[in-house]
Amino acid sequence: MISVGKQHPLLYRLVVSHYLLSAICFTALAVMLLFSSDKLSGHYFHPQLLAITHMAALGWGTLMIFGACYQLLPVILETELYSYKIGWISLVMFISGLILLVYSFWNFEPGIHMQCGGLLLLTGIGLFGMNVFMTSRKIAAEIHQEFIITACIWLVATALLGTLLVFNFRYAFFQKDHLLFLKLHAHMGFAGWFLLLIVGVSSKLIPMFLVSTKLKPGFLTWSYYLINAGLLSFVTDTYLFGLNIRSCFFGAIVVAGIASWLIFVFHCFHSRLRKVIDLPIKHTFVSFLLLGTALFVIPFIISNQLKADPWAIQYTTLYGTLIFMGWISSLILGQTFKTLPFIVWIKHYQHLAGKGSIPMPTDLVNSKILKLQFSIFLVFIGTFYAGLFYQSSLLIHIGLICFLIVALLYLANVVIILFHKPQIIEL
Amino acid sequence: MTLPDIAGKETAVRTKVIDALRIVLDPELGINIIDMGLVYSVEVDEEKKSIELDMTLSSPACPMGTSIVSAVENCLTHYFDQFTRSVNLVWEPAWSYERITEEGKQLLGNE
Repeated sequence: MISVGKQHPLLYRLVVSHYLLSAICFTALAVMLLFSSDKLSGHYFHPQLLAITHMAALGWGTLMIFGACYQLLPVILETELYSYKIGWISLVMFISGLILLVYSFWNFEPGIHMQCGGLLLLTGIGLFGMNVFMTSRKIAAEIHQEFIITACIWLVATALLGTLLVFNFRYAFFQKDHLLFLKLHAHMGFAGWFLLLIVGVSSKLIPMFLVSTKLKPGFLTWSYYLINAGLLSFVTDTYLFGLNIRSCFFGAIVVAGIASWLIFVFHCFHSRLRKVIDLPIKHTFVSFLLLGTALFVIPFIISNQLKADPWAIQYTTLYGTLIFMGWISSLILGQTFKTLPFIVWIKHYQHLAGKGSIPMPTDLVNSKILKLQFSIFLVFIGTFYAGLFYQSSLLIHIGLICFLIVALLYLANVVIILFHKPQIIEL
Repeated sequence: MTLPDIAGKETAVRTKVIDALRIVLDPELGINIIDMGLVYSVEVDEEKKSIELDMTLSSPACPMGTSIVSAVENCLTHYFDQFTRSVNLVWEPAWSYERITEEGKQLLGNE
């Protein structure tokens, strides 16, 4: 018999540790936001907002994606993970660095703790990137692989620039404005890491989940080159000349790349055999809408910035929250329940399958909690963004309470899945 | 999937094997592997008491591949323990969505 892709016994602990820690970070993020709601109407370059942004980008988004990558890379690239030991070392360094960095930002102590945090994070991210590269290097290049490897390169570059910014607080060696580098750092992270990685992974998973019969991979190739070309041009031009009218053009190139990806997704959706759309996929589609809204805000940021209008800061906060609390959060809140139950199910039920009645992976998720999570997330979107738009601290506060409830419900469901007790089968 | 040859002498057991395999579900889609079109052939030799099955997966790196194959082996062991059983995983022809039966498409929510 020919061998098939088998779950490595060391994979389970590595993956679920990432999922659990990420869910805890998400709850911590929601608590931090609730205690800093008044800061959201001020300038985004505020110690507590920097702490919150890094908790969102690293503790919530990146840590979850690391876990999902360890689980999905062997599937997408059809090979074994290069090293589990490197995965663990990366996780320990990443978490230690994250705690130090977030603590230092929150209290704004740009000293040894912040510097060590930055270096630990950079090392953890570098080890992750190395693991991905070594895993994928022996496989013939496919577009998904190109997306994932390029995303890792952008992530390492983002972390390197972030670490330099940390040292720049103390030693001020950058010749240009710190905020200019902060913009580059943020967009390398948004478009280079999150966007490329999500496009690469989703383009493999969405057709699988929807059972799509017609794929248009040409749109993915366009997406890859447009996003990278737009981002590289933006980073180079903004570094040399600062934010200017050309930034809109480079932004439009990235948006064209995103549109290509969404056309690919549309074809997958249109040709799907699986007609029933479950809640995790609905969460995913909400995330696409929020990404579209975030992109819609970009021209307003640039035009207000060029006019030196203070509304540029408000639009930047709106954009940042739409990216992290909207797009990335909604995507993870849904996709967790398309991936995590499977690795737990394999551990508990693989050897029992075919012997009688056993639960399916989706049965491991508490569907009532998931429904509640989805509904409250929609309430959060409505109240929080209405609050930002009308500058209403009450609505922002209500929205953030909803966000905390969503985080607690999500954490509860992750814990329920991880501590699932195998049910007795009926033979 | 080819329909069972009702004139064949192995038909009764072969039909039972195919029926039994309908309890093996694709864990993601919740559809049995017969309607998914994953089973290519079932050969039953009642004299030699043997069952030989050729099947495939939706992709060589299907995350549920091991689960599905072990479920097939568990199923055959449970219901046909008096037979010798052989499960061959084959990749040619590659599985495609066209192999999903009409019943399978209905289970996916198609009219």
